[in-house]
Amino acid sequence: MSAVRWFRKGAEILALAGIALMFVFPFLWMTLTALKGMDEVHVFPPTWIPEQILWENFAQAWGSGPFLTYFFNSIFVAVAILVLQIVTGVPAAYAFARYRFRGSKVLFALTLIALMIPPQLTFLPVFIQMSEWDLLNTYLPLILPYAASAFGIFLLRQAFMQVPEELIEAARLDKASEWQIIWTIMLPMAKPVLITFGLFSFIYHWNDYFWPLVMTNNDAFRTLPLGIAMLKSSEGSIYWNIVMAGNVILVLPILLMFFMAQRQIIRAFVYSGVK
Amino acid sequence: MKKQSWIIAALTAVSMLAGCGQQAQPAGTSADHASHGAGSADAGAIGGQKVTIDFWYSLGGKNGEIVKAMVDEFNQSQQAVEVKATYQGNYYDNHAKVLAALATNTQPDVTMVEIASIAAFADAGALEDLKPFAEGQNGTDMQDYIPGLLGNSYWQDKFVALPFNRSTPLLYVNRDMLKKAGLNPEGPKTWDELREFSKKLSQGKGDAQTWGFSTPIDIWFYEALTFQAGGEILSEDGKQVKFNDDKGTAPIQFWSDMIKEQSMKMPPGEKYDAWDVAEADFTNQKVGMIFTSTGSLNGILEKAKFDVGTAFLPAKESFGVPTGGANLVMLSKSTPEEKAGAWAFMKWLTESDRTAKFSKETGYMPVRTSALESEPMKSLYAEKPQFKVAIDQLQYAKPRPMAPGYKELQETIMSEIQRTILGQATPQDALNKAAEKGQKLLK
Repeated sequence: MSAVRWFRKGAEILALAGIALMFVFPFLWMTLTALKGMDEVHVFPPTWIPEQILWENFAQAWGSGPFLTYFFNSIFVAVAILVLQIVTGVPAAYAFARYRFRGSKVLFALTLIALMIPPQLTFLPVFIQMSEWDLLNTYLPLILPYAASAFGIFLLRQAFMQVPEELIEAARLDKASEWQIIWTIMLPMAKPVLITFGLFSFIYHWNDYFWPLVMTNNDAFRTLPLGIAMLKSSEGSIYWNIVMAGNVILVLPILLMFFMAQRQIIRAFVYSGVK
Repeated sequence: MKKQSWIIAALTAVSMLAGCGQQAQPAGTSADHASHGAGSADAGAIGGQKVTIDFWYSLGGKNGEIVKAMVDEFNQSQQAVEVKATYQGNYYDNHAKVLAALATNTQPDVTMVEIASIAAFADAGALEDLKPFAEGQNGTDMQDYIPGLLGNSYWQDKFVALPFNRSTPLLYVNRDMLKKAGLNPEGPKTWDELREFSKKLSQGKGDAQTWGFSTPIDIWFYEALTFQAGGEILSEDGKQVKFNDDKGTAPIQFWSDMIKEQSMKMPPGEKYDAWDVAEADFTNQKVGMIFTSTGSLNGILEKAKFDVGTAFLPAKESFGVPTGGANLVMLSKSTPEEKAGAWAFMKWLTESDRTAKFSKETGYMPVRTSALESEPMKSLYAEKPQFKVAIDQLQYAKPRPMAPGYKELQETIMSEIQRTILGQATPQDALNKAAEKGQKLLK
């Protein structure tokens, strides 16, 4: 067996390590740059390990604006969107997956179309509408337009469709209400998909720069990505070490969440066939 | 960068759609408000209600922190006006955001505006005439603003902007590198010398390659070189394009020739990215000389491990530079009370002591003549003579073109120049094409 198999195994590990390195490198470089002094950032040839590790770069990035407010806003907005999307998405997905009713196909097609329209196309009417309702510079224009997610409905519908019909029949015979069916059967079965969707949604809105930039003029309602963009000066020297320190602060929560939910995400991909 | 231009296009679309049917305020009423407001500025200070004003700024990073510290100082120094300062992205972002905000009535009371954008806002009637304030009870000596910095402050006889963070391009030289090559460390004085110096400093291959000269292929430097060649970008009234003659092609020819003989490096990247590359190449001694803004002086002095010199941009027919940076404007949609508060703040920001301190901390130029003669400035210039060069160069400075359509036109000129550098068009053809588009934009 062994020589050939060993060789194959070795090559496989090497290839995987190479790919992993490609993904890890930007994060590694970001973190290293965040710890360097300004005179070391631009040195050529570049240094790997900072000569002097400057933790105070993080303090400086954090202190250069109301970052606590940004941080809170980012969490509040992303969580509020996620909760609303689940509240609207689960019943909709259940209906699309399990009910036959007039117009269901048309409605589902409309949902799919909504999935294909990028927010850059819809922001204009939304912006004007929000302005007419006098809602600009509140949390609402950040949250309301995302209250329903076509992607979430689609993903959950796929998951709900895989639940065997017999299970639901049995529950109905036991006089379970539709809500009870959703809560006790559908959601537990769809847990990996639910977690994956939650992560996708949370990360998307956590990272979003365009929408909050357009909808807010006021620091009180701004989110972290706008704060990070502020670290980069528009004229004169850019302090990349401070900018990178800000970016580490931005991605750290996401990375932590990702590590914690990793197993569920893999399961979700295996189950739902989304690749 | 692609994404960013997208955002700007989108925001502009907002303002155009939402702005339909809105009318500029008649000039008479706004002037009335102004004189009324100017009178009540002191009344506010004595015991009226505290007025809160919004101030938008477009300086990020360290300079942004300095602006914020000034705002805090102002808020603590008096009780009548509370300034809320908000960062709105770089000059491009801020321009688009102010447009969108005007369309939806969410505009600030005071904002920084890049000087070539002032005409666009003034022409739309968005800016308040500051003359009644400057001459009012809480006025200021307008003669004290440095004349070379006021070129982008007037629009059709209205005084619409106070100079604030103002810069000009400088030639930065690595004096050590020049000395080593047996060249005059003061730097080249003419285009021919610049080319000659650059050839001597350019050598090596691959990782070890060095270039004599580098500059972003940016409209600002194109304007500078056109002025030096004796040309103009637009006619005085801003209605005719003037750059498509042999004086306008000269800079492009000069750059392409130098790039071809590998004595000039064209820094990759769009807009400010290219600026950052040029600066990094200079501090890493890959490049011996660059053009960049006065605003980078502090950063470069901090990073460079060699003797940094600054000099005038080299002359062709004559020396010549545009000024740059941003001015402070007041929005005409604000209430009289807000305007009075806004004026108090604008005046405070540009007072002699403040502008001297701001200049020292950032590298931007002080905006008042009296500040130049103040003790802190004099000691700074004695200690770091590199700072003084920008002020001396002002005698050759010209305003950036003042025309509402110039913001769009400059993008066209830049992309046409880049086409030439890439060898896709001759300088004359490219500029003719830009001029043709330009003539439509200016009408």
